[in-house]
Amino acid sequence: MTRLVRAELFKLRTTNAWWLFALTTLLSTLVMLVVVAVSAHSLLQPFAQYLAVASHGHAANLPPEFLARLTDEWTLGHPAATQAVALYTAGQLPGVLLACLLGVVLITSEYYHQTATTTFLLTPHRTEVVLAKLVTAVLLAGLAWLASTVLSVVAGALFLHAEGYGSQLGHGDVLRALVLNLAAYLLWAVFGVGVGALVRNQLAATVGVTVLYLVGASAASTVFELLNTYVLQRDWVLTAQVIVPTVASAVMISPTKTFDQSPAPWVGAVVLLAYGLVLGGLGVAILRRRDIA
Amino acid sequence: MTLTVNARRGRSMNDGRIAANGLVKEYGDVTAVDDLSFNVEPGRVTGFLGPNGAGKTTTLRMVLNLVTPTGGTATIGGRRYADLEEPTRVVGAVLEASAAHSGRTGRNHLRAVCIAAGFPQARADEVLELVGLTPAADRAFRGYSLGMRQRLGIATAMLGDPQVLILDEPANGLDPEGIHWMRELLQQLAAQGRTVLVSSHLLSEMQTLADDVVIVAAGRLLRQGPVEQVITDVSGQQRVEALSLEPDKLADVLRRDGAIVSSSGTNALLVTGASAAAVGDAALRAGIALHGLRTQQADLENVFLELTAGQAGIR
Repeated sequence: MTRLVRAELFKLRTTNAWWLFALTTLLSTLVMLVVVAVSAHSLLQPFAQYLAVASHGHAANLPPEFLARLTDEWTLGHPAATQAVALYTAGQLPGVLLACLLGVVLITSEYYHQTATTTFLLTPHRTEVVLAKLVTAVLLAGLAWLASTVLSVVAGALFLHAEGYGSQLGHGDVLRALVLNLAAYLLWAVFGVGVGALVRNQLAATVGVTVLYLVGASAASTVFELLNTYVLQRDWVLTAQVIVPTVASAVMISPTKTFDQSPAPWVGAVVLLAYGLVLGGLGVAILRRRDIA
Repeated sequence: MTLTVNARRGRSMNDGRIAANGLVKEYGDVTAVDDLSFNVEPGRVTGFLGPNGAGKTTTLRMVLNLVTPTGGTATIGGRRYADLEEPTRVVGAVLEASAAHSGRTGRNHLRAVCIAAGFPQARADEVLELVGLTPAADRAFRGYSLGMRQRLGIATAMLGDPQVLILDEPANGLDPEGIHWMRELLQQLAAQGRTVLVSSHLLSEMQTLADDVVIVAAGRLLRQGPVEQVITDVSGQQRVEALSLEPDKLADVLRRDGAIVSSSGTNALLVTGASAAAVGDAALRAGIALHGLRTQQADLENVFLELTAGQAGIR
């Protein structure tokens, strides 16, 4: 197994995949850091200043409901720990997607490049091949998290310092967010390997995962709202949104409730892990019997 | 070091005989391989012949556990491929020419296999040298010609110094020099006592390369055995062509000896039932001058076409 994982790592290192993956992870983290820093810069100001900027200098004659919304946003976002969490996990949105896509491509590229024959000749026990890829994907997702986090924490702490705050690294919520962020990287990598084992067409698998990841949550929220309004007016219908992987991920990561009826964060983690395992298990079961031609 | 030791140990335990036993593969309504049984012996090059769509590739893939048979079994040295502990040390297979990541170099492709199989990295350089690919070793696979891809495939198969080699249409894309090189290599490997199974539809090439043949069509076995024997079995007795200025007189003499003689143009006779030597002796005894004498060898191509006639390749 160690040999197979080492071979997988070597295979990645000897193609463009390696630096493309690393570069995209770091660049996207950097872009997200800038976006988060801009918003953090205004939220970290005292309320009066925040209001002046947000209303473009017309704070005196704001409609009351708009003023109320700005007050809420500031109250929620002003604590330095909240902004530290946002900064330190800035690369999450693209980073987690990349980790997932890496998991997908680890398997589908075997078909895309017709190397599946060589791979399965080398290791006739196909479950071992998939397990090695799973371990590889999880290792690399962890590495991606580490790279993205180191970059974010260094840049974020410097930014907070410049704003007149400490790094907030001693804060429980901040540490918890860092760990949950890691969990998201790892679980989505497992999810990706599961999808790859099931859908061998590289284009279909990568596009499918990307679409699901980017619009899954909002699509799910629309569908479940409609179900709740027209079919069954129970709260648990809305809670059930958590069965959509993207919603599960949001529920797991979010320090506050993602939506009013959202379940506890661990439910999200369990759902996401279950997806990875079920898809992977199904994929392996099919792969074991599939003819390699 | 461990490589050679293990390979030798493997060889002594395992005679490297390939045995297919009632192999069946159905794809929906089509029976691609139909109750196919044959043996492939060590120390010989065996040609696996059949028209397109005869089920050759499917059969080879069943032997290698890549395709699951609908029925029957295939073993190598008495064990199924999936049960071999270190399959790459026992069997090397070359199945398709384009079997490496297009962005990876040939050397790195081989190194990845070395890592996965636990071979020393230096083994990659050795097999590159063996197949003459060293000058292109550090070029990306996408720049390889078909012939270079075949060579890399053979190099991959040879990494584990296997007792058994299975090659599917290895001559595809090779130039005449490449074909010559491959023939020498495969014959040399067989001479070392290895089992070599080669599928092909290049019959003239097979006649020079193979010791034994297994001929299939429409998924069924038609003939198997040593090349000469299969040819004789199918085409019947040898014929001898004799050239003489006195054909009628020679024909009389030969008929008296019990041979069947027919005329084949002016001054030429076709003789069945007598060897070239017997014809020559008879002519000498009768004082007839011979201007030419040769045995007409039916070739594999005639035999193959006769055997597979009417067995449409595409089903």
